Amino acid sequence: MKIILYLKKNFSTTLDNFNKGEFSFSEGTIEQDLNLLVRALNASISGIILTDNRQPDNPIIYCNSAFEKISGYKRRDIIGHNCRFLQKDDRNQRQRLQLREAIEKGISCVVEIRNYKKDGTLFWNELYMSPIKDEKGNVNYFIGVQNDITRRKKAELELRSNNELMERRIEERTQSLKESEDYLASIVQTVRESLIVLDKDFRVLSVNEHFLKVFKVNKEETEGKMLYDLGNRQWDIPLLRELLENILPTNNPVEEFEVEHDFPHIGKKLMLLNAHRIELEGQFKDRILLAIEDITDRREIERRKDDFLSIASHELKTPLTTIKGYVQMMQRIIPKDAEEKFRSLLNKTSVYIERLNHLIAELLDVSKIQTGNIELHKEVFDFDKMVHETVEHIQSATKTHQIVVKGSATNSFSGDESNIIQVVNNLLSNAIKYSPDEKEVVVYLSKVSDYLKLSVTDFGMGISMENQKRIFERFYRVGEIQQQFPGMGIGLYVCEQVIKNHGGSLWVESEPGKGSTFSFTLPLNERVGNAE
Amino acid sequence: MKGWVMLNKTILVCDDDEGILDMLEIVLEDAGYHVIVVSNSLKIYEAIDKQKPDLVLLDLWMPVLSGDQVLRTLRKNPETDKLPVIIISASREGKHIADEAGANGFIAKPFDLDQLVNDVQKLAS
Repeated sequence: MKIILYLKKNFSTTLDNFNKGEFSFSEGTIEQDLNLLVRALNASISGIILTDNRQPDNPIIYCNSAFEKISGYKRRDIIGHNCRFLQKDDRNQRQRLQLREAIEKGISCVVEIRNYKKDGTLFWNELYMSPIKDEKGNVNYFIGVQNDITRRKKAELELRSNNELMERRIEERTQSLKESEDYLASIVQTVRESLIVLDKDFRVLSVNEHFLKVFKVNKEETEGKMLYDLGNRQWDIPLLRELLENILPTNNPVEEFEVEHDFPHIGKKLMLLNAHRIELEGQFKDRILLAIEDITDRREIERRKDDFLSIASHELKTPLTTIKGYVQMMQRIIPKDAEEKFRSLLNKTSVYIERLNHLIAELLDVSKIQTGNIELHKEVFDFDKMVHETVEHIQSATKTHQIVVKGSATNSFSGDESNIIQVVNNLLSNAIKYSPDEKEVVVYLSKVSDYLKLSVTDFGMGISMENQKRIFERFYRVGEIQQQFPGMGIGLYVCEQVIKNHGGSLWVESEPGKGSTFSFTLPLNERVGNAE
Repeated sequence: MKGWVMLNKTILVCDDDEGILDMLEIVLEDAGYHVIVVSNSLKIYEAIDKQKPDLVLLDLWMPVLSGDQVLRTLRKNPETDKLPVIIISASREGKHIADEAGANGFIAKPFDLDQLVNDVQKLAS
């Protein structure tokens, strides 16, 4: 830099004098000094040029070797040209205006400009341009100092493009967040379920469109109000209140809570409620989302289907009863000397009548269970007596097995007698059916703590461990059994549902080849059952 | 059923299905009973009044007058309030309805003849 300053101070005069043939130095030292200066200039890593402002188009009259190196041009290609040749075709750079202005005004400037080497390679040139004036203030020359700042520029550009990229990404991200928020909002608004968001005090924070449509209300009379004050206090149900108030402290959701109510504007409806705690990380975790579904129509359709099946099965059973009666009559009055073929045909007919009967009964049960419509008619009845009667009924139709009843449970149980009879019947007929070569089935009654227990044991084929896990599934049939004893595979499923509905449990213990014991327990104290 | 003795008991069967009536008549007569069948439940009171049956087998689902309605009426009348009545029905809920109405027994269709005759014997003795 010192050299440049020195040059700036002295070069103008020196050159002028040189040109005019006037020298202020002694002849011996000028050449020596100039040589030193030229060598110094050539040692610089900055490219240095001088242009003569007094000649047309400001030609380059000097360049050092660093300039040759930076530009890739040889001295002969440089001297006499205007500097602009370095820009090649890239002429529309705003930095040029800056340069032109500086030249016109005769002032110095610094620009970063795109230049091109002889081979066409781009390089960023940091050009420091400064006028060299004579003593009268005329700008005779310009000195240009150039540094190849391509690398720095590249780094800067990269940084800038990274920044831009980052900004663009943030923008995109914001956009996509907004879009996904809109997206979620549109789902919430479109979903055909009424949604309410509640705060911890059960105040309505927001509702979706469907809610407003279903309940024929507007936002103003809903949002900001207490849940229990909505409508004609339809949600102010003690049990629902208790469940809802438990959601936040215990994080236990309310599931499938049915509310049948005469709602304002819309009349009597059956609503299904689900409520969960919702949380947004860092923002809140004490809100409740209450989803309400109008299941009035669905329930009605289910009911009609059940009614239809109920009538159909009733109608099918009537002629079946007659057929069964006649076949049994025929089996009775069959002559002693009748052909064995005749006897066997009659027996086969009666087997298939039984099968048909089962299928008809199962049809109805499947339908009811699928829709969860097992209605319980709870009444207090004598459980032991019921068991004895059921056994007696089955015994009177069974010649192959002796059914032995042992123990006692209770003479007073509150439950749906016909449903439980169905279970006992089912377990007994299974026991008989699956122990065709045995002669005995044992029913054991007992009282265990506050439960009654009934077990049915047979000594037949038993059930493999694998099948034990699956026989309570709906429509499950043990492969090899299906051939021998066809059916829909819902008997045990129905039994389990009935026992569950009473708050008890049904299970099996079995060893293949040795027999099976099916047991169920039922709570004697009603409250035990309800607590389930 | 051979060997069953004549019991001199009268059973009234009321069902809107002729097939069932026909079959029950044959079965119960074969079991030694005197059987009266009524297919129209409106005519049952007259039949009871005239024939003084020892037991009534009553279908639950009948047009116009259902079995449980008939039974409730019978229970209100001092002359028939002790008359043994067995309700027969193809619907399982029938047992519940039968109990409510005051039936002495319930038999689900399709029934087993031995079970039916057993129940009848027990109540008609």
